[in-house]
Amino acid sequence: MKGCKGRVLAMLYLPVIFSVILLSCASDISHDHSGHNMMLSEDGMVMNNNAHRLPFGCDVISKQYEFVVSAGRRYAADNPGAVFGMSQHDYRVEACSRISVVFSNEDEVRHQWMVHGLPKYLYPGGMFHLEAMAGKTIQGTFIVPAGDQTYLVHCDMAQHMEKGMKGQLVVGNGSGNLWNVYNTSDTFLKSEYLPAHTSRWVLLFAVIAFILTYGLLRR
Amino acid sequence: MSRRQYLLVALILVVVAFPPGWYPLALRLEISRWFGAAAYLALPVSKPVETVGAEIYCPPDLAGWRSAFEIDGVNVSPSKTCLSDNPYSVATFVRGANNVSDDTLLKSGLAADAVTKGEDLDGDGDPDVIHIRLEVVELNGSSAESAEPVTQYEIAPGITPGLWVFAPKYLGMARENFESRKARSGLRPPSPVIRVEQGDRVVITLENTHYMPHTIHLHGADHGFVTATGQGNDGVPLTSELPLMPGKARSYELTPRQTGTMFYHCHVQPHVHVSMGLQGMFVIEENQPNNWLQTLNVGAGFVRSSSVAIAKKYDQEYDLHYTDLDLQLGQRVQSSNDPRLVTRSMHRDYDVTDATADYFLLNGKSFPYTFRESLIVTEPDEKIKLRVLNGGSKGISFHIHGHKFNLTHKDGVGVVPENQAAQDVIWLPTAQRVDLDLSTRNDGLHSYGAGIWLFHDHQNKGTTTDGIGPGGNISAVVYQEYMGLDGWPKTQGVSYEKFFSAEYYRKIIPVWQSYAPVLFSDPGTDWLMFGRILLLALAAGMSGAVLVSGSK
Repeated sequence: MKGCKGRVLAMLYLPVIFSVILLSCASDISHDHSGHNMMLSEDGMVMNNNAHRLPFGCDVISKQYEFVVSAGRRYAADNPGAVFGMSQHDYRVEACSRISVVFSNEDEVRHQWMVHGLPKYLYPGGMFHLEAMAGKTIQGTFIVPAGDQTYLVHCDMAQHMEKGMKGQLVVGNGSGNLWNVYNTSDTFLKSEYLPAHTSRWVLLFAVIAFILTYGLLRR
Repeated sequence: MSRRQYLLVALILVVVAFPPGWYPLALRLEISRWFGAAAYLALPVSKPVETVGAEIYCPPDLAGWRSAFEIDGVNVSPSKTCLSDNPYSVATFVRGANNVSDDTLLKSGLAADAVTKGEDLDGDGDPDVIHIRLEVVELNGSSAESAEPVTQYEIAPGITPGLWVFAPKYLGMARENFESRKARSGLRPPSPVIRVEQGDRVVITLENTHYMPHTIHLHGADHGFVTATGQGNDGVPLTSELPLMPGKARSYELTPRQTGTMFYHCHVQPHVHVSMGLQGMFVIEENQPNNWLQTLNVGAGFVRSSSVAIAKKYDQEYDLHYTDLDLQLGQRVQSSNDPRLVTRSMHRDYDVTDATADYFLLNGKSFPYTFRESLIVTEPDEKIKLRVLNGGSKGISFHIHGHKFNLTHKDGVGVVPENQAAQDVIWLPTAQRVDLDLSTRNDGLHSYGAGIWLFHDHQNKGTTTDGIGPGGNISAVVYQEYMGLDGWPKTQGVSYEKFFSAEYYRKIIPVWQSYAPVLFSDPGTDWLMFGRILLLALAAGMSGAVLVSGSK
């Protein structure tokens, strides 16, 4: 009973202690009013970089990954209906691993590589965010939590995710594929790509089927 | 039962159920001469529509943006309306993103090269080399994941038409946050007002972040047909350059020699792209010493940091950009996520010669949202400069209640004083700009005194939102004594609750229900009549079956 009480207390205090640590860590980097830890440079922005702080449930860094990702029009060339793309859309990593992303933008406009849904006590807003200016490369590091989970990776400029820049980060066994990931999963809401006069073909086939069936039955 | 019996049942049903009101009038009169009128049967009682509840008229200013600020040496005027521009963005547009502190730049949300300001070419204390970067943003667009529009922007409660804008270059997400579908602040129509000084060496880089090709055409602003390097500079794909493809950037250059209120817009398939919102006001101010201009005015409206020449002559300055939107055009970007299909739908299936505008916007909003940010708030005896642009598909009949204004400039060029007569209506054909002097001197001519005086397009449709009024581009001149502290005008006992309900503009709430629910709600349903009609239908079905079975 006593032990249990201690645990409850610890659970109550942990977030407080953690936020104090976080605040003291954040004080030496520039940060904006919303509490995100932003590092700005001419090349772009890194938000909520985290190379060392472990998420709850992780005792050690399980593994180290480095993804070298390029973004731009070029990477949508093989994806019909897409306008923008990334050189890799599907990322698979072990739980509690440390991930470095080197993100190169080959277009003449901004692009982003963002992960959403990360634990908010480590990543304000739940996100890790790389933003590369035109023709620039930007890099950052973050540590994924314990547990099987699929996270959204995308570019959050208006219509960029919708037009091809959607990916997923599968941690451990993941929690199933996300929809609309190029080369990985299907389109959730598909437009119609039917030939002209489809209704006439439908009618024709129905009439043929009727005549054949009628004929067979009469025999 | 036999066929005959079925027919008999059907006949009885017809006799019993046939509504008395359907007999010929002459027959009914004849019957009533013998038996008198039928017994009293009340019409269905009124049934007021239940409403979900209105938005707050004037959301509290949590960020504190309405106050006066001094940011990095820039004096940002207080904003008297309910919603106001981010003062840190205003300061960044005045100083240049390269000349403000890191803290100001972070609070502005802008990229470090959104607007940069360099050399003082004429040595008069202000920068004359100006570089502006604009992106292209789709609001209320489609996705292949949800039927709801993404990067949402409401022009009026519950109204989210697909539209495009040139936008300042912000950093980060296009949404407020990951949980929201709403566009971040600053991504909105109209495309921002660009303000430069006469003689400035201006570069505007279009960074095409959109999935369709675009250009920038500088309408009325003095610019060369080609740049120094021989690149096309007119933005017209017919004559000087190819459309700028997605993911590409192109710079346009100008050193304007004349002042005035001008216009800029996309010139790729302009009959569609200009209507979609790729258009903004372009202002060239007089060259004056120490003239630090607010290079972009996001969402147009009140200029929080006016130029030297304007501040000398006027108490306030407002940019009024009128546009309209075609609901059926905006729906086309929402109908598919495939750019090939959207392009076909917008540029081949859509026929602008059959089009009509449905939404009428002042500075990117329709009433009642115009009351949150586009009021002209004044004291008596002020002199106010209005720059008016009609970017809509048809002319507008600009009118202010309670005042007469003077026309000083047309398409940026000064009007001779003898032609500057006071008037209360001025016609602006598509693409025209006028500069107006509005005086609030209570002399019975320029002003009739303090009050809340509407201003709007006086053509009927302009004051509606897809035919629902009041809506459209209605806004008001409000004298300070009629203005509440929160930036909401003290209307004379008028509630705005219904106007802040999406159901009102979605045509669900009867227009006068809130004033007289018994008198002006929709009537309930006549279930007796409905029952009679269903019985007749049964009779018809029975007789039909009898006839068909008999013909075998």
